Amino acid sequence: MRMWCEFEKTATVRHLGLLDLQRTMQRALRRSALPVAYSNGFNPHMLMSFASALSSGIPGDAEIMEVRLSAPVDAQEALCALRQVLPPSLPVRRIRLVEDSFPKAASLMKAARYELRLESPDAPQIARAVGDFCRCDVVEALKKSKSREERVNIRPLVRALTVERLEDGLVILQAVVSFSESASLRPDLLCRTLLELSGVQAERVRIFRRELLTEKDGQLVPLFEVVP
Amino acid sequence: MEKTALMIDDLLDLVEKPARYMGGEMNAVIKDPAGVDFRYVFAFPDTYEVGMSHLGMRILYDLINRMDGVCCERVFSPWTDMADLLRSRGVPLFSLETRTPVGDFDMLGITLQYEMSYSNILELLDLSGIPLHAQERTWADPVVVAGGPCAFNPEPLHCFIDAFSIGDGEENTPEIIRVVRESKREGISREECLRRLARLHGVYVPSLYEARYHEDGTLASFEPRFPDVPRRVVKNLVLDLDRAVYPESLIVPFTEIVHDRVNVEVLRGCTRGCRFCQAGMLYRPVRERSMARILELTEKLLDSTGYEEVTLSSLSTGDYSCLPQLAHELMERYSQRRVSLSLPSLRLDSELKKTLEETQRVRKTSLTYAMEAGTQRLRDVINKGITEEDLMSSVEDAFLNGWSSIKLYFMFGLPTETREDLDGIAQLAAKVVRKYFEVPKAQRARGLRVNCSASCFVPKPFTPFQWEPQDTLEQFRQKQDYLCRIMRIKGVEFNWHTPEVSFLEACFARGDRRLADVLERAWRKGCRFDGWSDCFKFDSWMEAFGECGLDPEFYACRRRERGELFPWSFIDAGVTEDYLWREHQRAEAAQVTPDCRRGCQGCGLKRFEGACADR
Repeated sequence: MRMWCEFEKTATVRHLGLLDLQRTMQRALRRSALPVAYSNGFNPHMLMSFASALSSGIPGDAEIMEVRLSAPVDAQEALCALRQVLPPSLPVRRIRLVEDSFPKAASLMKAARYELRLESPDAPQIARAVGDFCRCDVVEALKKSKSREERVNIRPLVRALTVERLEDGLVILQAVVSFSESASLRPDLLCRTLLELSGVQAERVRIFRRELLTEKDGQLVPLFEVVP
Repeated sequence: MEKTALMIDDLLDLVEKPARYMGGEMNAVIKDPAGVDFRYVFAFPDTYEVGMSHLGMRILYDLINRMDGVCCERVFSPWTDMADLLRSRGVPLFSLETRTPVGDFDMLGITLQYEMSYSNILELLDLSGIPLHAQERTWADPVVVAGGPCAFNPEPLHCFIDAFSIGDGEENTPEIIRVVRESKREGISREECLRRLARLHGVYVPSLYEARYHEDGTLASFEPRFPDVPRRVVKNLVLDLDRAVYPESLIVPFTEIVHDRVNVEVLRGCTRGCRFCQAGMLYRPVRERSMARILELTEKLLDSTGYEEVTLSSLSTGDYSCLPQLAHELMERYSQRRVSLSLPSLRLDSELKKTLEETQRVRKTSLTYAMEAGTQRLRDVINKGITEEDLMSSVEDAFLNGWSSIKLYFMFGLPTETREDLDGIAQLAAKVVRKYFEVPKAQRARGLRVNCSASCFVPKPFTPFQWEPQDTLEQFRQKQDYLCRIMRIKGVEFNWHTPEVSFLEACFARGDRRLADVLERAWRKGCRFDGWSDCFKFDSWMEAFGECGLDPEFYACRRRERGELFPWSFIDAGVTEDYLWREHQRAEAAQVTPDCRRGCQGCGLKRFEGACADR
């Protein structure tokens, strides 16, 4: 049996990287005394993973941790147990139990919805760039990795991009970004590209991951909802 | 978000390792401000990773937060990137729990673990907007208190700290808080509050004393300014560890820290009497925690933290009277729960073979042997009661039981040291390597690693070597070159420390009030994180000495006479000067002194009622 836990990575701890978050969750699971399964082998480790790694610097409203169990548990009890062992900065929202045969959360990840808040005196120009972005078929972005830089077309990876609010000095965007093993787009790169397109600078950029999404009957739906 | 909070949030995007400043960890204590009328902030003048590994902070954090109406929050030295940003953007240094400016607290407690963190203290005060000099502070500023091992020679910090707490902090921290809290409530002056603090046991208020010097620079007199201020400050002593407060839950950091595990203090103090070891002298007498209490604490701490490793910590865990039973019991209880047990400061001559065999059921960590000196003669001089046979039989056991990683610690520049003693270091390392290859290939673990490190000896107050000169930098450099040449041994990795840091450490360890000016000047020249080699600016320090007209060799490299009045002489640390001098004489004659559990050596602790159990 496996356990899907939906939790929030709050803004206080948005700088947690994947490894720190993993270690924190593993220690919490140990505190909870839930029957977590371990790998076999010389250095056994907990069988737990996240639906999707969330970069340091970005908070997440509805992140999913998947834990393999060595014995059945009651979802409600597990929820209580986990809530007690996590700090207020990492609250657990819901827990569902899934059979071993059910696909892994990470394999179901198809997209994620981000909220991008860009603070700039030239916010209207950024809002206009959103329209330009959506009208294009090809938008090149400079992707930097440790070893090299390359220009890639990020347009196909953006499934939706809308201006939610435009006010004095602030524009709030909603972006649905594709996720796949072959290609993914970091939301900060999307922000940089939009700023490049608009030719203006932002004083502050804040990114929030609002939802993890999967596909069901050709539609994007929240990942947690597909659990039977 | 309010403005400061937003500014802090912005800063976190710009620094390396933002988790250092994040807070929000499991088991951090955040009290409802409505129920708190006294706020204490505990400062560790080094990075989060170093400070969070410190047991004393964990104990005091817990102890203060248990007090009604009082909260304790934490702050660590911000790394240079963060410090520069705070300064350039005008954001005051803040606590981790509630991001409250440090200057807004009622009391700031600073722990003094290492002389080379002193510049960080000035940086911390400055970043908090607290006047550097105690006499310029008002009730709008926190009362700045400092404690820890370096408080046994508080003089180089005399003008920056309002009051020092000498000895075990559990005892008088609540008392100090009570006095300051009441003083504020009563509305008396800050000066009057400090006078009250000075009357507490184990508290030293430097502004209430005056130091005069002879023409040759040595101390002529050290006197209280007022009749109600005690002439001698006697250290605080926790007599019963079982009854002493010990945390039952620990903050679990998000990021990895230096000692990332449950830490249970099994005993305090050490009776071995190693003559170079300040901690061994300061933390006398030995006080053990009962096995039942240790097991109880371990259980609670593992449950509340989820850690997968337990350390039994003390100056000399191998001396814990029921260590084999304790280790056995811990293994019995926790190996199924995948908890590993590590035993630091392992003594060679303890009955540990059986324990070791059990520990390895879970995990093999590297074994550390603090040999300290290369020859038996020099080990006798420093009273390090370990022989070559002890080391050899212990590493043989270790290699036979599957260990392949060994650490050897040495010092150089010890009193009476000769070329032969340095050669002895290389010979010992080579013998350990040979021992490994003597174990049949099928039986030994692969990948031998002998990590050998040699640090420069620093004479410390309240040790038999407090009268001894340190080697000069020139001598250290020559010895170091020589060691590097002879330590080129296959299978051995040799590490050393820069002598310049040890030289400065020696100045401040036995420094007087005049060094406060040197410290302030060096800090103004940008010195901070001096214990971190990439930040250490030796030249700036030497300039600071020059500008103050002081000679660092006067402090580090001068042989002191028996009768000299030391800056720390007014402190009663438990051990008497007679005892220290006796040990000094025995050292010169290379005479060993047995462990005092095999007969009292008259160190002076018997003067404290109930402190020293006759065994």
